[in-house]
Amino acid sequence: MIAVELRKLFRRPRTWATIAVLNALPILVAVLLVLTDLAPRPGQGPVFLSAVFVNPALFALAALAIVLPLFLPIAVAVVAGDAVAGEAQAGTLRYLLARPAGRTRLLVAKLVAVLVFVLITVLIVAAVGYLVGTTLITPRPGLGNGGTSVSGTSLTQQELVERALLAIGYVAISMLGVAAFGLFFSTLTDSPLGATMGALAVLVASSLLFTLDAASPIAPYLPTRYWLSFVDFFRDPILWRDITRGMALQGVYVGVLLGAAWANFTTKDITS
Amino acid sequence: MSAVIATRGLVKRYGSLRAVDGIDLDVRAGDVYGFLGANGSGKTTTVRMLLGLVLPTSGGIEVLGARMPRAGRRVLPRVGALIEGPAHYGHLSGRENLALLDASGPGGSWRTRQRRIAEVLEQVGLGGVGRRPVKAYSLGMRQRLGLAGALLRRPELLVLDEPTNGLDPQGISEIRELLLELNRTGTTVFLSSHLLAEVEQLCTRVGVLDRGQLVLQEEMARLTAPTGATVVQTPTPDRVRSALDGRVTSVDGERVIVRGDDPAEVNRLLVGAGISVTGLALQRPTLEEVVLAAAGTSTDRVESSR
Amino acid sequence: MAALVAVLASLPAVIGALPASDARTSAAQLRAAVLASAAVPFSGFAESAGGLDLPVTDQLTSVADLFSDRTTMRVWWRGPQDNRVDVVTAGGETGTHRDATGTWTWEYERGTATRGLPTPLALPEPPDLLPSALGQRLLSEATDAELSRLGARRIVGRDALGLRLTPQEAASSVRQVDLWVDGDTGLPLQVQLFGKGADRPALDTRFLDLDLSEPAAETIAFTPPSGARVRVAQEADVVLEAGRRIRPVPLPAELAGLPRRQLGGVPPGIGLFGRGVTLLAVAPLPARLAGGLRDALTQSPDAVADSAGVRVAAGPVVLMLVDPPGRGPYVLTGTVTLDALAEAAAQLPELGGTR
Repeated sequence: MIAVELRKLFRRPRTWATIAVLNALPILVAVLLVLTDLAPRPGQGPVFLSAVFVNPALFALAALAIVLPLFLPIAVAVVAGDAVAGEAQAGTLRYLLARPAGRTRLLVAKLVAVLVFVLITVLIVAAVGYLVGTTLITPRPGLGNGGTSVSGTSLTQQELVERALLAIGYVAISMLGVAAFGLFFSTLTDSPLGATMGALAVLVASSLLFTLDAASPIAPYLPTRYWLSFVDFFRDPILWRDITRGMALQGVYVGVLLGAAWANFTTKDITS
Repeated sequence: MSAVIATRGLVKRYGSLRAVDGIDLDVRAGDVYGFLGANGSGKTTTVRMLLGLVLPTSGGIEVLGARMPRAGRRVLPRVGALIEGPAHYGHLSGRENLALLDASGPGGSWRTRQRRIAEVLEQVGLGGVGRRPVKAYSLGMRQRLGLAGALLRRPELLVLDEPTNGLDPQGISEIRELLLELNRTGTTVFLSSHLLAEVEQLCTRVGVLDRGQLVLQEEMARLTAPTGATVVQTPTPDRVRSALDGRVTSVDGERVIVRGDDPAEVNRLLVGAGISVTGLALQRPTLEEVVLAAAGTSTDRVESSR
Repeated sequence: MAALVAVLASLPAVIGALPASDARTSAAQLRAAVLASAAVPFSGFAESAGGLDLPVTDQLTSVADLFSDRTTMRVWWRGPQDNRVDVVTAGGETGTHRDATGTWTWEYERGTATRGLPTPLALPEPPDLLPSALGQRLLSEATDAELSRLGARRIVGRDALGLRLTPQEAASSVRQVDLWVDGDTGLPLQVQLFGKGADRPALDTRFLDLDLSEPAAETIAFTPPSGARVRVAQEADVVLEAGRRIRPVPLPAELAGLPRRQLGGVPPGIGLFGRGVTLLAVAPLPARLAGGLRDALTQSPDAVADSAGVRVAAGPVVLMLVDPPGRGPYVLTGTVTLDALAEAAAQLPELGGTR
């Protein structure tokens, strides 16, 4: 069932178009950086963009930081929102369920497919970022080939790679909440667009509330609260506090929303 | 004969609307069951309940001897369905669509998949369709592909909703032959339709749904059994009336209904009286007449409130 | 489902409300324990929230942000002369590494490592806002009469004993300081400073994570990374320079009832008055700094401007700019009431003189 869902997802031209669009922005940024030779100062612009002239391989992370706030969640929301509602709209949902693909199994397969999409997308963005960075950007001489941590300590190439992989994993996990929201809304409506918009509305609301002091009591529970914590992998020592909280929070969102999606989907009349 | 589909007091309520209002379906093995009803009479909802897509408000469903929807995982692999028109992934070929559908549930071995797909495509007349994506198919081709999906696992029961939709007359006849052939080899067919002619040509049993209620469920042979009268076509109906004194029940133009279920005897009397007869037959009610008598007005009509 | 969410959401509150043991420790004993805790090694994560919105100029925004914002800090503490405090922001951090010879301050956002040498007068820095450091400093000059015990509560999973400091000076703008002290080590775990007439703390700093094992020395050590700009600290020098260069004014031994403190190495033009929580600093300012500060002050809607000068209060912290014609401008700031501030300005012999 999971294999079927993966085949459906990745044989779909739209999936690859989404990933391509996602990569377009970091590539554009890289080209502009090379043409203008204007790297932002550290702390300005997307995280790590300042460091790419020291270590071009870091553009993999910069690319992730570029797509993380908006592009990546939109892509995830589109795919997750489409998961069930898209089948409903196309009418294939009734055939799947009459086949019968059990409703719970279908939901789990959809979730896994979305998760694989998230992981593959993040990996592709990082890989394309790495390639673009190392081919387009020439490092400024005399700065060593390692990297500097956010804390000002030097990281070896190996440490950098390890932490980058951890950060990529964390970014993927951060997207789980969006995926769960998308999937939940996807079981509520027969309109994939509506489900996607619902998930994005949650994210926009979350980002907005996060900036509001009056919302500080609920801030720790906002789905976007710990998104930027992937930076914490590049502090020295790694600051695990927000990372573990971020993962736990995403876990809770996935658990609760998946439970709600399951409760709704398994008792729902399929009239599409 | 064992029941393939049996429902007891099946009810589906949407708010205050009773879409399906206590029906007792009885489809037996070997039937080609015609499920008739106007648009909005509850046909689709009933079909969806049989397949476990819509959950009944109350009442019981048994399909192939097991309770639905609880036994869906066991029962549905033995059922092929075409529900409210076909639906496919437009960017994939017909073959891939069938493979994905077959892989999505139990009861379809991947070893035999390619062979089974080739067979059913041949069967529905799509053997040479190649690799083009379904979005390039015509409506009729999609309908055939949907039927192929229903046939993929040699089901014991076919639940078909308007299977000839979008087909040209040759296509309709082809599909009709296919269904009859399948029925002869033991497949029970449950055919939901609003096309009376189609049902009349195919079905051995008929159920008529009107506003959520099963107003009629009978063997086709019995519905259209002779009424005990003879229809006489003659250019001179007045002379028939005088010749067969008192046996004429109605006259409609050149069509005269005469009591008596022996056309030969009527013919003999008329010829003896020198009346020319252009047509002579036992009177049988048409399915249309039966259905119209059983069901009320179309549910599409919105009557003004009195 | 809703119940599950409710339970999850209320977990922190439930754990926080678990009864903490109230050891029978006197206020004086607790104070002694706090003052002895400076050598206790630990590492942890602290957050300070300030409600003070000081209108100041660009040169001093880093100080102002400390008191107005939410500051999160990671700390590794091996001793008062061997520690590291990182102020963590979403996309960067500023780390202060202290050793016996001075400090290294690493600012990721600027790619700058700043060497700071011990100075007799230092502006407030993030490490000063650690509950431990702040608690030790505030209690260092407290008298037993000012201290009273509060109950106990649980903070970062430890039993914290409450200690309240109520300043006795009439001029003080601080109503009270509540400290919550770890019963085992004497480390202040939370410090809340309340201004007069305010229900919410003007400053609330607490540990969110605390590990009492000794952090590794290499975590605290710092070497400027290749490619970083390296410079030497100047912020405190601005004030010191002014105090040195501007013709010093003989400051009185007492201002607004607060006695002058003796500070070694500080030019005589700079004066610090008061004790403990109640402090008043008087310093001459270079004219360009004063101009910007005056503009910032007068733009503040809460500022009071009269013939004595411009003054403003942000919670318990007050700031006043006195600029008598023909003289260099002076700034008065501290934790005193606005009335006491005006009184102090009037008492400056050659400055205020409006009487």
